Amino acid sequence: MPETIQRDSLIGKRITKLDAPEKAGGKTRYIQDLDVQGQLYGKILRSARVHAKIKSIDTSAAKALPGVHAVITAADVPYQRPIGVAKDHFPLKTDRVRSLRDEIAAVAAETEAIAEAALKLIKVEYEDLPVLADPNDSLKPDAPLIHPEPHGATAKHDHLKQAQGIAYLGKPDNIAMTFDYQQGDVAAGERESDVVFEDTFHLHYVTHCCMGVSGIIAEFDPSGNLLMYSNTQVPFLHKREFAEILNMDPARIRIIQPPIGGGFGSKLDIYPFEPITVFLAKATGRPVKLVFTREEEFLASPTRQPVILTLRSGCKKDGTLTFRTVRTLHDNGAYTSWGATTPFVMMQTISSLYRVPHCLYHTKAVYTNNPYAGSFRGYGNLQATFAVEQHMDMMAEAIGMDPLEFRLKNAQDPGEVTPQGMHFKSCGFKECLTTAAEASGFLAKFKANEADKAKPGRFKRGVGMASMLHVGGGAKIYPSDGCGTILKMDDFGSVTLITGASEIGQGSETVLAQLVCEELGVPLSAVRVINNDTEITPWDVGVHASRTTFIAGNSAIGAARKARGKILDAAAKMAGLNAADLDLRAGHIVEAKNGTVVMTLAKLLRQLHFSDKAELVVTSFYYEPPSKHQDKHFKGDVSAAYAWATQVVEVEVDTDTGIVRLLKVTGAHDVGRILNRLGLEGQIEGGIVMGQGYALTEELMVENGVVRNPGFRDYKLVTAPEIPEMDVRFIETMDGEGPQGAKGVGEAPAICIAAATANAIYNATGVRIMALPFTPEKVYRALHAAKKEAA
Amino acid sequence: MTALDNYVAPTSLEQAVVQLQELGEVTILAGGTDLMPQSHAGRVKFKRTLMNIRRIPELRGIVREGDEIRIGALVTISEMMAHPLVREHLPLLVSAGDHFASDQIRNAGTVGGNICNASPAGDTLVPLMVLGAHVELASKPDDTLFRRSMPLPEFFVGPGKTRLAPAELLTAVRLPIPPKGFVARFHKFGTRPALDISAISIGVAGVLKDGTFSQVRVAFGAVAPTPVCGCATEEALEGKKLDAATIAAAARAAQDEVHPISDVRASAWYRKEMIHNMTKRILEDVSANH
Ligand SMILES: Cc1cc2nc3c(=O)[nH]c(=O)nc-3n(C[C@H](O)[C@H](O)[C@H](O)COP(=O)(O)OP(=O)(O)OC[C@H]3O[C@@H](n4cnc5c(N)ncnc54)[C@H](O)[C@@H]3O)c2cc1C
Repeated sequence: MPETIQRDSLIGKRITKLDAPEKAGGKTRYIQDLDVQGQLYGKILRSARVHAKIKSIDTSAAKALPGVHAVITAADVPYQRPIGVAKDHFPLKTDRVRSLRDEIAAVAAETEAIAEAALKLIKVEYEDLPVLADPNDSLKPDAPLIHPEPHGATAKHDHLKQAQGIAYLGKPDNIAMTFDYQQGDVAAGERESDVVFEDTFHLHYVTHCCMGVSGIIAEFDPSGNLLMYSNTQVPFLHKREFAEILNMDPARIRIIQPPIGGGFGSKLDIYPFEPITVFLAKATGRPVKLVFTREEEFLASPTRQPVILTLRSGCKKDGTLTFRTVRTLHDNGAYTSWGATTPFVMMQTISSLYRVPHCLYHTKAVYTNNPYAGSFRGYGNLQATFAVEQHMDMMAEAIGMDPLEFRLKNAQDPGEVTPQGMHFKSCGFKECLTTAAEASGFLAKFKANEADKAKPGRFKRGVGMASMLHVGGGAKIYPSDGCGTILKMDDFGSVTLITGASEIGQGSETVLAQLVCEELGVPLSAVRVINNDTEITPWDVGVHASRTTFIAGNSAIGAARKARGKILDAAAKMAGLNAADLDLRAGHIVEAKNGTVVMTLAKLLRQLHFSDKAELVVTSFYYEPPSKHQDKHFKGDVSAAYAWATQVVEVEVDTDTGIVRLLKVTGAHDVGRILNRLGLEGQIEGGIVMGQGYALTEELMVENGVVRNPGFRDYKLVTAPEIPEMDVRFIETMDGEGPQGAKGVGEAPAICIAAATANAIYNATGVRIMALPFTPEKVYRALHAAKKEAA
Repeated sequence: MTALDNYVAPTSLEQAVVQLQELGEVTILAGGTDLMPQSHAGRVKFKRTLMNIRRIPELRGIVREGDEIRIGALVTISEMMAHPLVREHLPLLVSAGDHFASDQIRNAGTVGGNICNASPAGDTLVPLMVLGAHVELASKPDDTLFRRSMPLPEFFVGPGKTRLAPAELLTAVRLPIPPKGFVARFHKFGTRPALDISAISIGVAGVLKDGTFSQVRVAFGAVAPTPVCGCATEEALEGKKLDAATIAAAARAAQDEVHPISDVRASAWYRKEMIHNMTKRILEDVSANH
């Protein structure tokens, strides 16, 4: 036993993720690798038409196929209820299909091959309806309705109207959702402006491309309890929602989350395949496993929200921003998922990234027969930032100010409460701006490129910057944003941390373990994290809004501090010392002032076990601190802390081909405090690459409701040689409420890249492109088409 | 997935062509890198018999025969790239291989498969064409082994369609050893540097002597239902000095003679523009480096 131990800390170190050996060793058992005794395989028959009435479905031949255990259609599940954010979506379609992904029937069979063969035997008769492929068309007065009211509550549709709690009611028009926000008086703002710009920006469809495709296993036990192995990001909310949809007692639903092969927001909603698999399990009395094919993943998992955004903004000659007016049209697709609610986040960037006195924001999400959008890392912020940050550069140029100075002049400071009501208690925005600009040599490059742009030459260099604001301390989307923790200590000094927060690859397990180590003075190897079973873990809102480190971290700290208090009290009594003079270090109880070892933690714990002196299981919870919640006009605070970042992108544009290469990205991120440096770098590098794909290569091509590139051959993810050099800097603002001062960072790094790339292309070529992605052909056209057509 | 009635794996060319003749309905499997994805996607249906040709020694290997180099149908892209004869005499095939798929695919995919798959974007086809390749075909319609040969461009009929007869096997490609002063370039234009399908590709070859370009061969990929010869471009170059005016005229000729389609990868307009710009760039590079 050492005689003295000095205080050591894991905070800020480069810590390998706890699940890294397992993942790198290929041993992780994803949903694809799980099999349950007696399981059947489920497959879904999707629509062959974009928009049509279902005249008839004949499943007889499929049912007769040997090895098939069930073939179900909407008629077999009269109890099904609509799912989704607006409850406009039946898992199995009743009388019509509204997009190509629509589920018409499902099969459970002995093998996947038999299930597949059975699908081919199902005959469906359709009667085509006119297709709405453009949200502008959906708004026309004579546009066909995508969700007409279920006709006349006839006997056939009685169950729709009668379903308790939630019912599918249809819509009198094609508007799925609207958001309106106003601060100040934009007309007055415009009168004060010396410069005004108005432009329309087009943001495209992209999808998450998780390495692990969607999947689920559903199983009923003989008592009627439902067990789901599911990749959801929000197990507790889903437990409740499934109960509603399935008309079950929530207490009878258990969700186990196997390790997830990528989330990025895609697992935030319930999708039809999940209740359908439950229906199949119910119909067959057997466990049913359903896993998507890659093509199905492209066709039937959610997308990022496509947006047409018109931005009008102005400033004074001295560089003061005056107003912003924004109108957006969101292509909602055929059903409503979280994509429709992205305006909630977009308006934060529009109103509060910079100080703008007057703002007006109208947005409509409109039904079409296209794929529907869900939540996706950044949640609308990539789209809003793309427009706002391009206008920032345009206005700066118009008044003859450099982009950095213009931004600094309007950037938020700590302590600010914006007109929307967001309170920036910690704010490193200006430091992000100056750090990223200095580290990249932004100003010198910006000016040099500008001077070179008119010179002859095939390759042009450009540099561009963009900044972002995003929630970093949870999101007050629900009435409360909380997380519970149970912490258990064994008699060898090991700790089991049972947390409500899910691990979806972001590294939360590791960070939570570090925070516990910090309080209990145990090595990382002494901590186990349990986080994937609703029957065991305490409640949590779920993984979204970059909240886990902040909320679950604070909750874990709370539990660890309780345990620490008990341990030190007991040790003090035993050793006849004062608890306040003791500390926990490297698995020992020591005297705080000089590190003299008093006893090992394990020994103390063994003495406490089976005694009435202490309970070695503690519970704790954390809710974000009270604040002014947003009212129905969207005024109020949305997070306990906010994350800031500036990214500078350097590009090379090949004017002969339109190919844009990202040479370097310099990022400065206000992360509050670095907890796990390695994890943080991983998040930021991954986010940059995701942003790069959004900016340059990725596009789900949807034409008349048909996805034309449902595979990795023509849906172009960024490949290794395209990844730019990265220089990532961290700004530590030590947030007062954050766990050890940290703020959320999960979404932040993906947000700026497209906007900064647009600005860099302009710096290189003098051509501004307001539609994504910047594919070679699009850039080439922008550079040459006008000139060539004139010639 | 398709259920197969029969699987055969002949161990000699003789056995293979006899089986092809007798069994009639046969799908040939080489590396499978085209066949398997196409069958998964439902674009290709397996015939009654699947014939694995990978155990036929006669289809392997790269050898010199007189003034020709013979590349066996089963030679993988990786083997082709690594072979000393190819590196010495046909470096164009090495640079084409460099832009071909990924290492994993290059280790499995074969030259014969690339040719028989007959994709207009197949990346060995344009280089093989400008190198003057002939395909070698074998069958056994009666008691004697029947071999025939044809210039590669004649082999292609349409996307996925060739002049291969139903009971015929592609055994090899033959390429003349290039003369002195021979220069050749291949440019695969895709929108990303790795694992991409050509939006267009261009091959240019000829003999450059005293600044004059002769015996010129030009071919284009992904601009027509098959890889095509660039006859007008050849004409614009044949016997000319590679100066700025010639290069400009050749690039224009190239742009005018291709008639590509628009698809998810590129529009027809953009493809024509790229044919122009990349032809120009290749020729400038040839003229600057020789
Ligand atoms: C991820 C990926 C990336 C790719 N990238 C590229 C690329 O960059 N460039 C490119 O050109 N291709 C690419 N391909 C396509 C493919 O790899 C090549 O065309 C390869 O050369 C095919 O060879 P194979 O041996 O695998 O052919 P197979 O798939 O075995 O066969 C292809 C076809 O040819 C027939 N066939 C094969 N050999 C013979 C023979 N000796 N006689 C008669 N018929 C025969 C088969 O019946 C089949 O119809 C890619 C494929 C994948 C999956």
